[in-house]
Amino acid sequence: MIKGTGKQTIRTSGKLFKLFLGLSLIASLFFGCTQDADNGKTRIHFVTWKANVPEAWDEIFRLFKEEHPGIEVITETGPHSSTAFHDLLTQKLKNRSTDVDVFLMDVIWRKDLLDRYRLPPPRTWDQMVVQAELITEEEKRLHNADFHGFSGQFKQYEGLVCNMMEYILSNGGHILNADTGKSGLAEKEAIDAVRFVRDNVIAKIAPRGVLTYQEPESLDLFVQGKAVFHRNWPYAWGVSNNPERSRIAGKVGIAKLPLFEGNQSYSTLGGWHAGISSYSKNKDAAWTFIQFLTSEKIQKVIALKAGKAPTRTSLYNDADILKSYPHFKDMKDVFLTAYPRPRTALYPAVSNVLQRYFSRAISSPDLNLEEEANKASREIEQILSLEKQAG
Amino acid sequence: MQLSLQARERLFGYTLLTPCLLFVIIFAFYPILYSFYLSLHKIILSLPQLGQPFSGLDNYSALFQDRIALHSLRNTLIFVFFTTVFEILLGLVIALIINRQFRGRGLVRAAVLIPWAVPTVVASQMWRFIFNDKYGLANFLLFGSDTSAYSAWLANPVTAFAAIMIADVWKTSSFAGLLILAGLQVIPEDLYEAAQIDGASRWQQFRRITLPLVKPAILIALLFRTMDAFRVFDLVFVMTQGGPADATNVLQFYGYKKIFAEGLMGYGSTISVLVFFISLLISIIYIRVIGTGLFKE
Repeated sequence: MIKGTGKQTIRTSGKLFKLFLGLSLIASLFFGCTQDADNGKTRIHFVTWKANVPEAWDEIFRLFKEEHPGIEVITETGPHSSTAFHDLLTQKLKNRSTDVDVFLMDVIWRKDLLDRYRLPPPRTWDQMVVQAELITEEEKRLHNADFHGFSGQFKQYEGLVCNMMEYILSNGGHILNADTGKSGLAEKEAIDAVRFVRDNVIAKIAPRGVLTYQEPESLDLFVQGKAVFHRNWPYAWGVSNNPERSRIAGKVGIAKLPLFEGNQSYSTLGGWHAGISSYSKNKDAAWTFIQFLTSEKIQKVIALKAGKAPTRTSLYNDADILKSYPHFKDMKDVFLTAYPRPRTALYPAVSNVLQRYFSRAISSPDLNLEEEANKASREIEQILSLEKQAG
Repeated sequence: MQLSLQARERLFGYTLLTPCLLFVIIFAFYPILYSFYLSLHKIILSLPQLGQPFSGLDNYSALFQDRIALHSLRNTLIFVFFTTVFEILLGLVIALIINRQFRGRGLVRAAVLIPWAVPTVVASQMWRFIFNDKYGLANFLLFGSDTSAYSAWLANPVTAFAAIMIADVWKTSSFAGLLILAGLQVIPEDLYEAAQIDGASRWQQFRRITLPLVKPAILIALLFRTMDAFRVFDLVFVMTQGGPADATNVLQFYGYKKIFAEGLMGYGSTISVLVFFISLLISIIYIRVIGTGLFKE
């Protein structure tokens, strides 16, 4: 895959939300099943997942109604889990889904603890492991027997692919070469990164239970003050700093993900897509809504009300936003190094192979990684050859 | 024209049967046949340009070379074996207890049925919490407040699989118990009286009277439970999603993934058809056993 894809994606974020047939990553916004209403209005159906902050969406729909009285938006809410949401869309739209663009991951940590032990925020994964071990050992001795260095998402599901990709890419490896259709799983960089997670993260700095964690469980551990480092989507920042939901509000630091020495940090893209169903009868109205959603004005509403990172780079310098969310300034970096998952119409099948391989690799310490990686690579290439055959 | 009484009765009978037959045809036969039809085609939803070419038995030969499918089949068979054995044993115990006369029997009978009445998805979610590595009840009962000893049950392939089986046994033993109870209740009381007069011990009464007479009911419970266990899906879906490392992947969940996540309609249907044929085979064997061995006497 081309390294520049991530950056390019951001720069053209306005143009991003174009119709992409057959491309199937995880959709978070989706239009479909449109039809003409009786009252002369054009009706579009908007499928999204359950909002963390519904008030923000109420406001957006109100503003849209004011600007476009001729279009009626009907919202349908899907499950929060990305895997389940994708399954729902597949069912609904027979997988002719379209999705584009951008979201990001970051690592957050206990600022108070790092300060107490006079440690700088970790730049590399190795540093993070060393710091986590040091702090955990001390904290366990002094206060809390149930304390861990790190929490992330390592259950056998889509999130596992995102987590593992970040280690692999930040070690100079790759999952899939889009041009050659070859998998990079069995190359040294990728294997080393997977081995690093298996030997240093799982049941080491992170509890073994992370093998069963999706986002909510991993965040729980962190907001209860039982972990030093935590990797999640940006919403975790808001939750960690909310005194009603977090025991560590105000004690949290955030930055882009660490890297392996001599390489670059990468965050996985995903979850901030909008698409138009190819079955839609009102593509123009849907496009109007997408343009509206991605406009600077509305992105600002979303950022301010819901704490979501905007999809427009200009807003990362916006005074109002930075006042409420000072960390967005740093997060522009995270954003610009964000990297999409492999783009193929058969991504769900590829993802299942990846989930299987990663889960196997990190949960059994004595597995022959090279052999498993080669098997997974062959399976992925077999899947991709289907697409080539179809033309 | 005047129909004979017999003919009219027959016509009336068929008329009454029609809605039920239609229901079975539309909701059982049609989907089975359609799955079979799909399984003979190469259909990939995300590659609509492929169309739906006929592919003969390609999907089937691919299925028998698919290591994950074979692994899931193995898991499913292990699951079926252990859960049915434990469910029948526990079901028998439950049935024997609630068949006795004691104060508060009505309450106990109702309580025993609660697990069965709870929707599986809800029960699975509950069991997922019970086996949670940080706040799970299982850890609390075993280790109390010694949180450093807490184990991540669902993160270990062996214990995760055991957890799913425990949840299933908890959930459906009472259903087996209910079927066996029905069998117990038709055993005439005077048999036991006669046995007592002849000096048979409690154990002898159970071995020689209860067990043989309740056998048909046990076999029916066995049939129901085997078929149901073979189609296990919701427990896996909620508790583990087949993980870790496919340790809890079962055929139905694998098929679901193939169809709904990966969009491989043809191949996924092949898995459904396999599940159907295995269930059919099991039920034929059971019905043979029940039909010949027991009801003849």
